[in-house]
Amino acid sequence: MYDKYPKGQSRGRHWKHLKQILQAENYQNYPPDEPNYVNIESPPSMHPCKRICDITGFEAPYYDPRTNLRYANAEVFKLVRSLPNEYVQRYLALRNAAVVLK
Amino acid sequence: MPFTSKIERQTDYNDFPSSIPIVIDNGASYFRIGWAGESEPRVVFRNIVQRPRHKTTGETVTIVGDHDPALLKYFDCTRSGPRSAFDSDVVYQFEIMEYILDFAFDRLGANGSEIDHPILITECVCNPVQSRSKMAELLFETYGVPSVAFGVDAAFSYKYNQQLGVCDKDGLAICPGFSTTHVIPFVDGEPVYKGSCRTNVGGYHITDYLKQLLSLKFPQHMAKLTWEKVEDLKMEHCYIAPDYFSEAQVFQKGTKEAEDKTRCWQLPWVPPPTEEPPSEEEIARKAAIKERQGQRLREMAEAKRSSRINELENQLHGLDFLLQQLEQVEENDIPSFLATTGYVSKQEVEASISKATQSLRKAKGEPKGEQAEIEESSTGEKYPLVHIPDHMLSLEQLKEKKRQIFLKTTTEGRQRAKQKRAEEGLERERKNQQDEERRLENPELYLEQMRAKYKELSEKVEQRKRLKTNGGHTNGNNPSGGVGRGERLNAAQRERMRLLTTAAFDRGKGEDTFGAKDEDWQLYKLMSKDNDDDEDGLDADEVELTRLSSRLQEVDPTFVPKQEAVPSQSAPEPPRIRPLTKEDFQILIGVERFRCPEILFSPNWLGIDHVGLDEMTGVSIRRLPSKDVDLEEKLTSSILLTGGSCLFPGISERLEAGIRMIRPCGAPIKVVRALDPILDAWRGAALYAADLQFPEQTFSKIDYYEKGEDWLRRYQFQYTL
Repeated sequence: MYDKYPKGQSRGRHWKHLKQILQAENYQNYPPDEPNYVNIESPPSMHPCKRICDITGFEAPYYDPRTNLRYANAEVFKLVRSLPNEYVQRYLALRNAAVVLK
Repeated sequence: MPFTSKIERQTDYNDFPSSIPIVIDNGASYFRIGWAGESEPRVVFRNIVQRPRHKTTGETVTIVGDHDPALLKYFDCTRSGPRSAFDSDVVYQFEIMEYILDFAFDRLGANGSEIDHPILITECVCNPVQSRSKMAELLFETYGVPSVAFGVDAAFSYKYNQQLGVCDKDGLAICPGFSTTHVIPFVDGEPVYKGSCRTNVGGYHITDYLKQLLSLKFPQHMAKLTWEKVEDLKMEHCYIAPDYFSEAQVFQKGTKEAEDKTRCWQLPWVPPPTEEPPSEEEIARKAAIKERQGQRLREMAEAKRSSRINELENQLHGLDFLLQQLEQVEENDIPSFLATTGYVSKQEVEASISKATQSLRKAKGEPKGEQAEIEESSTGEKYPLVHIPDHMLSLEQLKEKKRQIFLKTTTEGRQRAKQKRAEEGLERERKNQQDEERRLENPELYLEQMRAKYKELSEKVEQRKRLKTNGGHTNGNNPSGGVGRGERLNAAQRERMRLLTTAAFDRGKGEDTFGAKDEDWQLYKLMSKDNDDDEDGLDADEVELTRLSSRLQEVDPTFVPKQEAVPSQSAPEPPRIRPLTKEDFQILIGVERFRCPEILFSPNWLGIDHVGLDEMTGVSIRRLPSKDVDLEEKLTSSILLTGGSCLFPGISERLEAGIRMIRPCGAPIKVVRALDPILDAWRGAALYAADLQFPEQTFSKIDYYEKGEDWLRRYQFQYTL
């Protein structure tokens, strides 16, 4: 434990988000064959996406258009339909597919 | 627990001359600091900062790294969680970084803020120059460091393992870290950043995924699933499946194998105390106590009764004596004589005598019956005015007559009811007797008949009750009588509603003939609410039913009367709560064991549209400037796994299989794991910092300010010794 700034010191934001940092780097001004933080990022996958059941993790051949959840079998489907919306959204948020209100 | 913190303060800081560099592995999960040339870092702690408030004083304190949970209970951690200086492996919050460096140098033993040693610190591949320059500035300005060098942790790890003969000078370093995963190709012992590739998935995401899945699966234990606990679970139980879907199949089928693979975390649970039935002695003792208490009460009642009898007898004797005295006293002297006793007249004394006699009789427990009979027999004389015509009576007598008529009718009514009861009793008795006869004739058949009858009747009654209770005002949860939406009405209520609506429509339409006939007014009677099934008394069926059930109870030992339906007035019984068992406090980890680390191979499960670990090698090789099959084969035959997230069992095999799928048939593939995936980066860096050529790789504060940003951007550590 270490106390550097005593209470009452102004604590404004002295930092930039990573996005802002990357924007300020102006990578577009440099030759594209020069490696930088942005262009070493991986490309999207060429393989077909493995679809798994959002709830059980099994292989999911089905998709529920009402909740947008993928499911493995009829049993899971029953569960999917009985889930409250909050849980549906949390499951969707796991794969970044939830409805985000801004 | 593979990761452990070491935060004891070092005492030998002053023994090191200022030429010896300090080596820092600034990883997103752990911070490691130590001396160049040594084999182990001196201080290791989690690279996070918390600033909780003291609960009583309200003071904000800064806690760096791991914390003692026992100490932390004095602080309010709800306002701010643990914070990291990193975003995707790039340091962007230097305020936090400063806290961390303060703490680290302090633990290393430095006194005062001046650090007079060169520093080698790690950074991520292609660190943005802004982050790099801020870090250099922090080290130069705040700590007065003479010179600084930056290197890549994965490269240090690869070189360290190369020196130990684990991998070759041409190869691939695959580094699944805390928040990112890197692949760096090495050609002739130097990393080729052009061919490197980064996916923003790492150990953090795995732990978070596991935490989310478990808290969705066990929402009642969400509070137990802390970050640290889930991190432990991940390290202990997670593994990479050789083939995800076939492994999932095993679990889907629910075979014995899956059961064996399911891990269970038992949360602390204390079984509720089981109530043992009381022993014989206990029962006997309790009965004895009860008996003794009853005895005492009876004795008390007896004593009270005898004392009351005594008292009444005394009173009676006194009154008798008074009466005798009165007879001897002159008529005129009575008032003066009685003044001392409190009575006014002789009649009053007599009245009190009769009252006392009655009370005495009651107290002695003698039946009052004979007197009642006398009363009954003397009805005629008791109501003398009833049969006398009104015109023969005075006003007072008329009033008296009215009273007598009323009394007479009530008495008669009472008698009639009594007679009826007696008759009913007789009837029941007769029926029972008939039944008994029939039973004796053929017990089997009789029982059968009885049961059938009982069933039929009970169903009938039940149905009627259901009809009644389905209505709005008998619904229990709607006692106000209002009819809620969606609640069904019984027939009578429906009829009432129909009448009301038709009445509302009829008004003012055409000629109004309502009220012309007497029957019209009956409508209001039907409309009124009291009309609804108010015959609450038992009807004939119910009477018969109760008789049958009591009869059945007598003759059939196996008969259990059906429980009465829930009384419509009281609220429905709350559902029985199942007692909690041990199983309710278990967290089962089955599919999650391999589902969570699988995101290293399929980041799109998290919605991250990047290639997985196996494809990254292909991307990396493709990105290399020279297309040389020989070189490619050399690279794939020396693949080194390093970084914290490569500790999952089965990752090497899976990676090898994955790479084999994207490489030409027969290509040599060899995947090895670093000797120590966690600490090798620091060890490699310490080795380089101890080298004689190290000072040439560093730059000083003057260099930093003179050479400018563009130079710093191109700065690259040379890994060839």
